[in-house]
Amino acid sequence: MKSGFLLKIAVLLLAMTCVTSMSAAQLNSGAQPIALNATLAESLTLNLSANAVNFTLAAGNANNPGSANITATTTWVLQPGRTAVAVYAYFANSAAALTDGAPGDNIPSANFFIADNGGASTALTNTVAFGGANAGLRLANVAITNANRSSSRTDAMAFNINLASLPQLPAATYTGTLNIQAQATP
Amino acid sequence: MSYRSQIVRITAVCVLMAAAGSVPSRAQVLNSAARPISLQAVLNDSITVNLSSNAVNFNLVRGSANNPGDRSITATTIWTLTPLIGFVRTYAYFSSSAAALTDGAGNNIPSADFQISDNGGAFQPLNTTVPFGGANAGRRLFNQFIFINNRIGTHTDVMTFNINLAPFPNLPANNYTGILNIQAQAF
Repeated sequence: MKSGFLLKIAVLLLAMTCVTSMSAAQLNSGAQPIALNATLAESLTLNLSANAVNFTLAAGNANNPGSANITATTTWVLQPGRTAVAVYAYFANSAAALTDGAPGDNIPSANFFIADNGGASTALTNTVAFGGANAGLRLANVAITNANRSSSRTDAMAFNINLASLPQLPAATYTGTLNIQAQATP
Repeated sequence: MSYRSQIVRITAVCVLMAAAGSVPSRAQVLNSAARPISLQAVLNDSITVNLSSNAVNFNLVRGSANNPGDRSITATTIWTLTPLIGFVRTYAYFSSSAAALTDGAGNNIPSADFQISDNGGAFQPLNTTVPFGGANAGRRLFNQFIFINNRIGTHTDVMTFNINLAPFPNLPANNYTGILNIQAQAF
């Protein structure tokens, strides 16, 4: 009698276990999607190693070098589709890159020269993406591919003011602002 | 058109619109900030005098008022000045009025007996006090007021020379030497 009772309990427990395991294997919830959106914004920055250059001019002299070179470091992180990064130097006005403030006492941008990374000294006489007409110079143009969408470059600039064509420039202190700026296209 | 195909078409349109919405940011240029470099260029005042020659000889005649030099000398004064400069002047002078020329033995020709004719003008003795040299040992050759229109300029002084020995009838025969200076000043 006692052994029969124990047998019944064992059979009942076995049946309950089977029912539990059968229902766990077949019951799934629905998949709940989570939309993910990660944006790496484009960036294009340009930093300068210094922001001032002085010149001691000699009247009528072609060679009046700046007191220091300045290095422009352009850094970019670009989306696919960009094809080029260009770096420009420019003045706001080609006729008066530097001036003493008196009427007509100006040094034009055509008399201001930059040698980029040891290259030839070149006048700022082109119309570029920024600044005044005929007041700029493209320092660099980097083609962008998958290999350099995130990259940087440096432009070490040496400066000169050529006064050979301005023999009548009066003695004075001439000041001006040269801008360096980069642009990614398209 | 079935309900299923309508759903597919609407979905396709939505996908295209979403894709189109991401394009404009690529089509526009991306500019960095402009970084300014301050430039300062100083063209200092300058004034120089150049001479066409630097030696003159005289054959003296005792007691004679006319002992011309063997050549003329042209002094060219060149200046580049700020607007604050008021005058440019060029001077001729000796360091001592008593002994413009000397034989080194105590026999001297004073500056008052040394004469310059500037640009064809009358001969003038060097007997005034100028900013350079000894007292009463100089003469101003040139005086120019500087304004906006002539802050940069040049001027030439063609100088002819004479030594007047009329006051020195007893000057000993000897070789007399001296230094005449030509100098300009802007102020």
